[in-house]
Parts: sequence; C-alpha cells; structure tokens
Amino acid sequence: MRMSHKLATAAFGAAFLLPMGASSAFAADGDVNANLAPVALNGVAGSGTAMVKVQGTTITVTMAASGLLADSPHAAHIHFGADARNECPVPADDVSADGTLNTTEGGPAYGPIIVSLTKTGDTSPTSALAVDRFDTAPGGRLSYERGSITVTAEEAKAIADGKSVVVIHGVDHNKNGKYDGDVKSELDPALPTEATDPALCGVLTAAPAGSMATGAGGAASTGTSSGILIAGAGLLLAAGGTGAFAARRARVKA
Amino acid sequence: MRSNPQHLGRRGILAVAAAVLAMGGALTVAAGLAGHDGPPQPDPDRMAQTRADPAPDLITAPAAPVPPVAEVTDLGPWLAASAPVAIDIASIDVHSTGLVPLSVGADGVLAAPTDFGAPGWYTGGPTPGQLGPAVIAGHVDGPRGPAIFYRLGELVAGAEVTVTREDGSVARFTIDSVARYAKAEFPTSLVYGNTSNRAEIRLITCGGAFDRATGHYVDNIIAFGHLTA
Repeated sequence: MRMSHKLATAAFGAAFLLPMGASSAFAADGDVNANLAPVALNGVAGSGTAMVKVQGTTITVTMAASGLLADSPHAAHIHFGADARNECPVPADDVSADGTLNTTEGGPAYGPIIVSLTKTGDTSPTSALAVDRFDTAPGGRLSYERGSITVTAEEAKAIADGKSVVVIHGVDHNKNGKYDGDVKSELDPALPTEATDPALCGVLTAAPAGSMATGAGGAASTGTSSGILIAGAGLLLAAGGTGAFAARRARVKA
Repeated sequence: MRSNPQHLGRRGILAVAAAVLAMGGALTVAAGLAGHDGPPQPDPDRMAQTRADPAPDLITAPAAPVPPVAEVTDLGPWLAASAPVAIDIASIDVHSTGLVPLSVGADGVLAAPTDFGAPGWYTGGPTPGQLGPAVIAGHVDGPRGPAIFYRLGELVAGAEVTVTREDGSVARFTIDSVARYAKAEFPTSLVYGNTSNRAEIRLITCGGAFDRATGHYVDNIIAFGHLTA
C-alpha cells in the first residue's frame, strides 16, 4: 500500500512537471460544458455542471455541484493530458485495488492539472491543494464562478476541443462528516486521502453543431404559396389591362 | 351627340370583364394569403429587431462581467441533476409526459426526436433546473400536421414553463425571450454557451418558410428562459 502510494506520488509529480508550453498567437474560442457525475468507486451521491467559455487564452468558469461533504474545502481542477484518455476514471483505474480511486489513479483518465479552480489568487497547478482558497460547499452545495483565468494556447485549444476534464475533490468515505482516516493523501501526507480523492468528474464537451431539424412540413404555411399568388397577380394585371383598354376606348369615343 | 348602343355595349362588356378579372385576382390573392397560415411565428416586430441586430440583446438580463476575483458567487436557484419526465407550458397548451433523451450524432448535430409528438432533452447538457442551459427540442409539425411544439412561436416573455423531474421535483422557468434564427446562422453560443450564470432553459423548434426542395424549415424558433423556483 505504502509502496503504491509512493509510486503514485512519483507519477503525479512527473505529470505535474510537464511543460506548460509557451503561449502563442493561436487562440481558441468556444463554449464547453460538463455534467459532473460521481467518480467510480468513491460513492458520492452528488451531481453538478460546469461551464467554460474560452476566449483566446482566457477562460471563464462557472460551476455548481451538490451532494458534497458540507462545509469542507473541495479542491477543484481542470485536467488535461495529451497522453491521457480525456475522460473520467473507471473502476479498472483502481490500480491499488483498495476499492476506491485516489486522484493519482485517475491520472491516466484525465491527465495532470492545468487549472486550479481557486476562488482567489493563483489558478496555476501550483495551487492544486491550496485548500484555504477553494469553495467549502456550504450545505453540501458548491457554487463557483471566475473569469480572467489565463491558460496556454495549447490548453485553450484542448479545452475548446472537448478534451479537458473537471474534477471536484473531497470524499467522506466513512460518512462521519469530516475529512479524516488513517490513509494519508498521496498528494500531501499532511492531508487525509478523503480530502483529495476525486468526488465528481465530467468531461468539458463542445456544444452540438448548429441548428436542429424539428419539422416535416405537414403543417407548413400554404399562405405564401408563390404559385397561387402569381396566378392572382396575373388576373389583377389582366383586369388592369382590360380596364385601361376600356377607358381608352371610351376616351377615343368621347 | 347621339348615343351609340353598340359602343356602349362594348365598353360595358370590357368594364364588366375588368371587374370580373379584378375580383377574381383579388380573391385568388386573398386565398393565397389567407388559405393556411402555417405554424405561429414569434412577434414580427421583435423579429425585425433580431434581423437588424443579431447580437444577444434579445436575451434579457445578461450576466454582469465576471470580476477577476469572485469573492461572492450567486448563481440564483439551481437544482441537482435529475432527468426530465414531463413538460407543461399552459399558455400554448403543451403537455407532455413522454420526453425522450437526445444526443449528438457522428456529424456533431443534435438529432431531433423521431416521435413528432415527443419533446426531447439534450443529455449532453444540464438537466432542466441545473446550472447552465438545459435544452428541450420538439417538432413544429410532422408529415401530416402540427406536432408537439407547433405553437412555440406564440410563446411570449413572462410565460411559465414547468418541467417535472425524475426525482419528483418541479423546475419552474420563466420565458425571457422568443426569437427566430436562420438555421445557417444558428446562435450556438447563445443556446449552449455560458450566457449567464444561472439555471436556464432553451426550447427549440422549427420556423420560417418550409423549403419543399430540402424538406426542412429554414429557421429555428428558440425560446429562452430562466429558473425561477
């Protein structure tokens, strides 16, 4: 168990140090959203949604989730890895076979952190566990909105392309109303694993493309049927012509 | 000056012919215009506004710019996830307990319900009542006549839409605006994007002229609303 945690920590560290990439002139724009669902094996009876607007290399994030451990900090991040599956973890990701998924075990699914969804201050991966700056979910309900978050061009493109994943952490496995337990977090030994295990997860997905075909024409207007209007107009023109001819005849006669 | 019955007669015949033709033409035009109105469309004055300025000014109460540091987050009312099972829009007599799930096809397009009598909800978006734009779409008509959202174009701001959910809760929405958009200029960001930080709903059907060559209407009618309770 300990060994697996150490390995996991090493793996997470390596992922953490992935180059962030230099910003470039390339920009991405778009709206993506995620339906946040309980992470496999971790048993959180919660749900939520997250919306991200991408404008160039700036993103705006709005998020609401419920069913979380109340009045406790919930770290939340956007994850992306070029080598990740770009999805939420599945039971098979429990490589430690302890029956729950920790954050590191989810790495192959969602990749490393690219944005820390803190309420104030830094939003880089450096703030991944800045527990004093995350929402504390009063009454189990987390509300979050923040704009002007800067990401790299590569990250902006990944988010707009629907490849990034939102994860909200913090699972009260033993249901005693607080983060505790003997198992320490693989990310920070000062924290119980309950404080950092992934609770809710959702892939930020691009909107459907364009319009909808919601009609078959069975009640379509016949009121502007061009054929009928042309016939009517033709008759009116004929009437006008006939009238003018009659008037001219009358004038000539007079 | 002597009267000439023959000439009078000819003028009379021409006058009568003109009158008959005029009447026939007018009646034909009237028939063409009034024969069959087709589905209701959103208010033309507001449509003119939409055409003149496709910017989202029809969408009331846009969110204030998000400050760089959000100290207080007020997203208004919002509910947990729960699939919709019924929709009621009293003002246009829509009542359905047969909502079907809709998803995006391989072409990236959100497919409409196959049942002309059933509204569908977009499962890739929020369930109605959750934060974000929940989307419910329905046909304006089927091959033989009006379908579930035939009267959507009659909907006006202030109308109430209630969505009953699987968990028994009822999400009540108030309509903010109804507008018609050319399908070629479908406002994807307004419909699916983070246009305001609250729980909202979009009701979508078809509108405008029916193009018999393609078998499709040329516009979409979209009603925008927000969760009030």
